[in-house]
Amino acid sequence: MIKAVNRGLELFGAWFMSMAFDVGGIFVMFARIVRAMLPPKLDGPETWTNLYRVGVKSFPIVVVTAMFTGAIMVIQAGLYIEQYGAYGLLGWGAGFSVFREVGPIMIGLMFSGRVGANNTAELGTMMVTEQIDALRALAINPVNYLVVPRFIAMILMLFLLVIIGDLTAVIGGAITSQYLLGVDMELFYWSLVTYVTLVDFSSGLIKALAFGFAIAVISCHFGMTVRGGAVGVGRAVNNSVVASAIAIFVLDYFLTYLMK
Amino acid sequence: MSAVASSEPTTPTDADEEPSTGGARALVEGLLFGVGDPIVYIGQTLRGFADVFRRTLIFILQGKIRWGEVVQQCHEIGNRSVIFIMFTLGFLGMILVFQAGFQAQRITGDLRPLGGLFLQVLLREFAPTITALMIATRVGTGIAAEIGSMVVTEQVDAMRMNAAPPVQYLIVPRFIAGTAMMIALVAIAIVVCFIAGMFTALYGFNVNPRTFVNFSFVTYADLMICMSKALAYGMAIPIVAGHTGLATHGGSAGVGWATTQSVVNCSLTVVVLDFLLSGLSYVFLSM
Amino acid sequence: MVLESKLRPGEAMIRVEGVTKFYFGEPVLRDINLEVPAGSNLGLIGPGGSGKSLLLKIVAGLVEPDRGRVFVDGHDIQALSITDLAALRFKIGMLFQNYALFDFMNVSENIAFPLRQAGGFEEDAIQKRVKEQLELVGLPGIGHQYANELSGGMKKRVSFCRAVITEPPILFYDDPTAGLDPVTSSKIFIHLRRMQQRGGTTAITITHDIEGLKDICDAFAMMERGRLIFHGSRDAIEDCEIKLVRQFWEGVSDD
Repeated sequence: MIKAVNRGLELFGAWFMSMAFDVGGIFVMFARIVRAMLPPKLDGPETWTNLYRVGVKSFPIVVVTAMFTGAIMVIQAGLYIEQYGAYGLLGWGAGFSVFREVGPIMIGLMFSGRVGANNTAELGTMMVTEQIDALRALAINPVNYLVVPRFIAMILMLFLLVIIGDLTAVIGGAITSQYLLGVDMELFYWSLVTYVTLVDFSSGLIKALAFGFAIAVISCHFGMTVRGGAVGVGRAVNNSVVASAIAIFVLDYFLTYLMK
Repeated sequence: MSAVASSEPTTPTDADEEPSTGGARALVEGLLFGVGDPIVYIGQTLRGFADVFRRTLIFILQGKIRWGEVVQQCHEIGNRSVIFIMFTLGFLGMILVFQAGFQAQRITGDLRPLGGLFLQVLLREFAPTITALMIATRVGTGIAAEIGSMVVTEQVDAMRMNAAPPVQYLIVPRFIAGTAMMIALVAIAIVVCFIAGMFTALYGFNVNPRTFVNFSFVTYADLMICMSKALAYGMAIPIVAGHTGLATHGGSAGVGWATTQSVVNCSLTVVVLDFLLSGLSYVFLSM
Repeated sequence: MVLESKLRPGEAMIRVEGVTKFYFGEPVLRDINLEVPAGSNLGLIGPGGSGKSLLLKIVAGLVEPDRGRVFVDGHDIQALSITDLAALRFKIGMLFQNYALFDFMNVSENIAFPLRQAGGFEEDAIQKRVKEQLELVGLPGIGHQYANELSGGMKKRVSFCRAVITEPPILFYDDPTAGLDPVTSSKIFIHLRRMQQRGGTTAITITHDIEGLKDICDAFAMMERGRLIFHGSRDAIEDCEIKLVRQFWEGVSDD
């Protein structure tokens, strides 16, 4: 009995310690990024490569996800619209929910899965193959050289991808509205433009900035602290995407509350 | 020697070797490869999923199930995801009630149907789909990383050498555990999300929990939609993640590749299934 | 469960005919022809990345060649059904380069795995054979440990036990001494020789340890960049004029 209690305490303690390590580590990583950006100096080519890779790599899946998300929200709104016959509200219902909430969340989760996970795997592999130690031996600060360009690329690209995603979601929604629900595209578009405000659109973009920030810091932290070979890389990727998902929902909650 | 057609259909080498005389021709070829390559890739991947799914079902029908492993996987997929699911879905409940509440205040001012409608949307859409996306994130990466590292350490080859099919040994237990646990997790998610929403409505908008807890909107059809989505996601995620893991090649970098690919594949599968099932349910409900 | 041999008299146990394999349009194996007569041990040498491991996997039926055919024990392995291929593989033991020990099983379960899969053995008999094997390789009493608790040399020996536990007539060793110190390597070679002296075993051994190989093999083949550049007996390789073969055999480089 006492043994079981001890074992339980031990497990809880280990869990708590690793939790504390990661939460602390994420803040330390942020502090190191800020430190590396003061005074502002940027590795131009490396940043450019990262902007390109992050943007191009995630563009197709963001477009596909957004297209389907728009379609799904139109269907979900359509179930109510049908009931009350208020077809003029379809564009508002779908557009509002996609721009404010579902769009940034879905694209953020996809981005975390595609870019965040990839970033952790990449940095992690460099870590276990001692490439980062090699950089240090050449007196190159790995945070300056590897992390800062990724950090900037991820924040900027998620912001841009959410803009693109919002637009493709509208296209997906319009097609679904026309062909599945039988609601004319023009009516859908009219309702969207009339009822959805710029505030709805821009509050989604603010969320995108916050999500991009969180995914960047979290994925870099987990990548730079990998230990234990290929298995360690897999575990780090797993932890990174889990932590990013949690961060997305927590940030979303506070931003929703602040931007009511 | 190099003129021999290879077994890999995605070989752009022949086009690259063309002398660059006609710029337009090169452009057209580049465009065709740009469009064709992803289509070929998607086609192959989908065929791979279908093949793994078919073999999984055959092994289950033949009763070749390692129950000990199933229990272990249930623990890995289910128990170890509970806190994560409760945390994220709890926040989702609060977010959704906030958004809906602000809009209702602005437009109608009537907050009484909030709880009932919230529960209905939760069942139809958010609880199964967001839970599945979270599982795709946590379990999808886990399965791919685990199976992927077994591929690069040749454990999968060793299984095949001893007449132990990897699909039967590795995917069947995860398939059964994933399907069962997804349904359980969605049920937990609904409860947690609804309770989180109830408290948000109480403290944010002064909606009495007795008004908020309202089952009158929920129909049998909503429950069916929720369950069929949970079932579909629960079956799809282990298959997709398992196939992605088995497709790993090339050392520890390959494991990283499989892990990241798995999140994307699983999440996209969830989104596409969500679209199909939502569309189907719309057609049925509006008939 | 065991597949009948279809070997005609005088036919080689393993016969590789014109095997070619492409990866992403690049040929990685080009027109390989190879024969291993029953009871002989072929040493396969060559620089890293020359396709040795891939060839071994093709012979074991783990990878399908793009062209060419592979006969093992008289059976064309591409033409075999899944059940027949499984039955044929019970005659093959394989020691993998990366140990390939199942990390969800302990050492005894790992070694017993081929016996359990083959079926028809009493539990007591299985335990007895596992214990015997572990004692033979000098690792008694580690049966309850897991693979990640063992050193590289111990893993190789456990992997060896699993390959030979069913006493298969055909054995494939993929770099059995990679990354091991000389003392541990020589221990591994002692066990390989023991299997060879048992008689009737056909084997293919990939290794960079030429000195160890000279001891256990009676035929040699050398690969370079996907091609077979030498295939012959011990005497033939001693007299071989090809530069790369000479360098490998004598362990010297010319500059």
